[in-house]
Amino acid sequence: MGNKQTVFTPEQLEAYQDNPFRQRIAQVFSEDGDGHMTLDNFLDMFSVMSETAPRDLKAYYAFKIYDFNDDDYICAWDLEQTLTKLTRGELSAEEVSLVCEKVLDEADGDHDGRLSLEDFQNMILRAPDFLSTFHIRI
Amino acid sequence: MLSEGQVNEIIIEIENAPSGVQSHSSSNQTSQEKTLVDSSFSIASSISDIDARDSQIFSKRNDKKGNWLLPFSTSLNESLSQTLHSPECMGVDTPCTSYETIQAQKLIASLIPMTSRDRIKAIRNQPRTMEEKRTLRKIVDKEKSKQSHRILELDCCAQCLNSVLRAYRRSKNSLSEFLSYISPWQKTLKVIGGKFGTSVLSYFNFLRWLLKFNIFSFIVNFSFIVIPQLTVAERNTLQFTGWEILTGTDYFRDTVMFYGFYTNSTIQHGSSGAAYNMQLAYIFTIGVSFVICFFSLLFSMAKYFRNNFINPHIYSRGIAKLIFCWDFTVTHERAVKLKQKNLSTEIRENLSEICQENAKSTFSQQLTRFSAHMATLIVSTGVAIACCVAVYYLAEHNSEFLRKHPNHGAVLLLPFLVSCINLAVPRFYSMFGLVERYETPRHEVYIVLIRNIFLKISIIGILCYYWLNIVALSGEECWETLIGQEIYRLLLMDFVFSLADSFLGEFLRRIIGMQFITSLGLQEFDIARNVLELIYAQTLVWIGIFFCPLLPFIQMIALFIMFYAKNISLMMNFQPPSKAWRASQMMTFFIFLLFFPSFTGVLCTLAITIWRLKPSADCGPFRGLPFFINTIYSWIDTLSKRPTYLWVVWIYRNLIGSVHFFFILTLIVLIITYLYWQIIEGRKIMIRLLHEQIINEGKDKMFLIEKLIKLQDVEKRANPSSLILEGREMEQKGPLHLGEHDAMPDLRFRRSVQEDNSKV
Repeated sequence: MGNKQTVFTPEQLEAYQDNPFRQRIAQVFSEDGDGHMTLDNFLDMFSVMSETAPRDLKAYYAFKIYDFNDDDYICAWDLEQTLTKLTRGELSAEEVSLVCEKVLDEADGDHDGRLSLEDFQNMILRAPDFLSTFHIRI
Repeated sequence: MLSEGQVNEIIIEIENAPSGVQSHSSSNQTSQEKTLVDSSFSIASSISDIDARDSQIFSKRNDKKGNWLLPFSTSLNESLSQTLHSPECMGVDTPCTSYETIQAQKLIASLIPMTSRDRIKAIRNQPRTMEEKRTLRKIVDKEKSKQSHRILELDCCAQCLNSVLRAYRRSKNSLSEFLSYISPWQKTLKVIGGKFGTSVLSYFNFLRWLLKFNIFSFIVNFSFIVIPQLTVAERNTLQFTGWEILTGTDYFRDTVMFYGFYTNSTIQHGSSGAAYNMQLAYIFTIGVSFVICFFSLLFSMAKYFRNNFINPHIYSRGIAKLIFCWDFTVTHERAVKLKQKNLSTEIRENLSEICQENAKSTFSQQLTRFSAHMATLIVSTGVAIACCVAVYYLAEHNSEFLRKHPNHGAVLLLPFLVSCINLAVPRFYSMFGLVERYETPRHEVYIVLIRNIFLKISIIGILCYYWLNIVALSGEECWETLIGQEIYRLLLMDFVFSLADSFLGEFLRRIIGMQFITSLGLQEFDIARNVLELIYAQTLVWIGIFFCPLLPFIQMIALFIMFYAKNISLMMNFQPPSKAWRASQMMTFFIFLLFFPSFTGVLCTLAITIWRLKPSADCGPFRGLPFFINTIYSWIDTLSKRPTYLWVVWIYRNLIGSVHFFFILTLIVLIITYLYWQIIEGRKIMIRLLHEQIINEGKDKMFLIEKLIKLQDVEKRANPSSLILEGREMEQKGPLHLGEHDAMPDLRFRRSVQEDNSKV
């Protein structure tokens, strides 16, 4: 069996769905981190975002998706990026910073100004919808 | 970012060093190297966190999860060392490799003693690619087989057990695959979810789940009651007019649809055939189907409670939830844009609520709110009671009315009235929302639901009271069939009204909203109201199974048609919901409603019927008996005459029939409940203490970092020339310090923000 791999470009994936986080999803699940996914990466993505994946696995990957600068913490800048993608720039700058502050207030357990994986998981525990919304149907 | 720069530096070193290895798979290997370095950096940066992590709080009981972010498995390391053949490359990441091999060996060592089921679960929980998981599983299996060679060979019993367990697991997997394959409407649900989101999807999932219940009831009833009866059916001498479909009288009265048609004899074909006691079959079939429904409802409820129960003490406003729980199932482009717009509106509303909630409402405001609540409570209860009285009055005078007007339409008057009440009063209740102001949107939804369910359950309750106390004791010829027919009519009328509402009502609303009063716009799918209608219909079906065994079949067809009707109406007349609807919490509540007033009420009704009512004298399988339950008594009596079945008689007399047994059982259950309650209280205290501990650790970390900054400032001022050296040293020390370095500007920002807040 040859070593031929099928690579999905981000453009091909974009045609599949109109998710605001599509680029981040492609980056997180691709091997080289720049959005080009092999078949194995593609399967990994669908495996994690299927209905029966365990909550902690989903929380881990959701954390990675929302962590835009890949520093293993969701800091205020990451939150601003998330919010911009979610609302398509409809909120004003001060509303965005206010929201980021509120989110950090609510979710930051050890008060270090950013969300670690544990803070994120703790917050997800209080949001039982997460399992059903972090889900791509095939 | 500095870490990426680090990565790039080291990549360059790798590419320069091995000049010998110039195969076309080198890119593959360098990418593997890159990922190795990437993950090793991410590991090292979180090494400090691994120790502090207490996964016990968040992991489920069965998970033996140890470390979260895990290093490579040793096989990848081995393969790399084999392919590259150059010590310089390995030398680059030697300091990290030792960490990884230790962690990898720890992981493998922790996986080996687990049972294979737990092992599969643990491996599946790892956040790694599938390749890595497969290699991990292979290594663990190899290690385990190596180990098991040292132990004595398992005897054939254990081997048999292993193979049986494996076959069972495989068959369970294939069965679940098959079930999901034949699960209907998979594609339709995907389209609905793509356009309207998870919340509307939950209604359709609930409908599908109820359909499964009805299919099961129908199959059980059909095989054990209807088919034997059909083999000894008498000819039907009545005429078939078209009205039977709606009224259930005339032709249908003498069919397997209703209780009155069933024989009370023991069916036996031929002299040597097996005897089939129809009485016992009837009561046992219905009993068993109810028991299975009971347990499946209980387990579903428990599963939903376990996944979705929120401790109300730690419930927050939820702006973080809005941000992080984006609905990934929505795929339609327009729906996504709409959802984004709605999300920004909701975030703004949430922000204004948070800013406003700091302002305390004055006493007069609180008084007005309280009086509004009381007024609406009195009005809604009054309306519900008035409807119940009207229904009872009509039901009581129904028989006289029918005698005066013996046409088909008259029979339908009572169902018509009940369906009108069910249609109009909930909409009247929703107008209360204009007067009342609720504290949270969650309160509003729950209060609306409780009002509606109170209305529906009280109507069903009044009707049951009427049926069991008046119709059953009235001395009519075949009262069970009469009740069956009434329930059939109610169900059908409800179905007709729902269809009319879907096709006409919502269509009209769309026309009004789009053409005439354009400010209204398209309507949104009212999930609560529709789910309550489903619960109401299912309650009727459960009550009616005893009197009309084919009722699940009717409901099956009705649900099937409803699915398509609601789907078409949804696509044509509705817009996606604007507010976030907590679908999982609501589903838990709906299933609880299905269990608590609905199913338990049905069980009570059935219990009263079987234990207290006298069957009619000349129709049905229990004709002539003083009570329905006497079948069981006589069966036990016949069994006690046969020596081989004395154990059944013993169980009946001493366990089911004795009061002491139930007393002791209740006592044990109460004790266990009390113990579990105390454990929960203890865990809550533990959670609070650990939460405080986390906060304290954060404060300690900040304090130490401030000290570190101060010391470094002092050093910098003392030795400005060693500044550059220090910078390089810090870069090479590793990402642990990098992480802290990155954290410091954020911490300072955070601290200044907190100081500002405290000043304000």
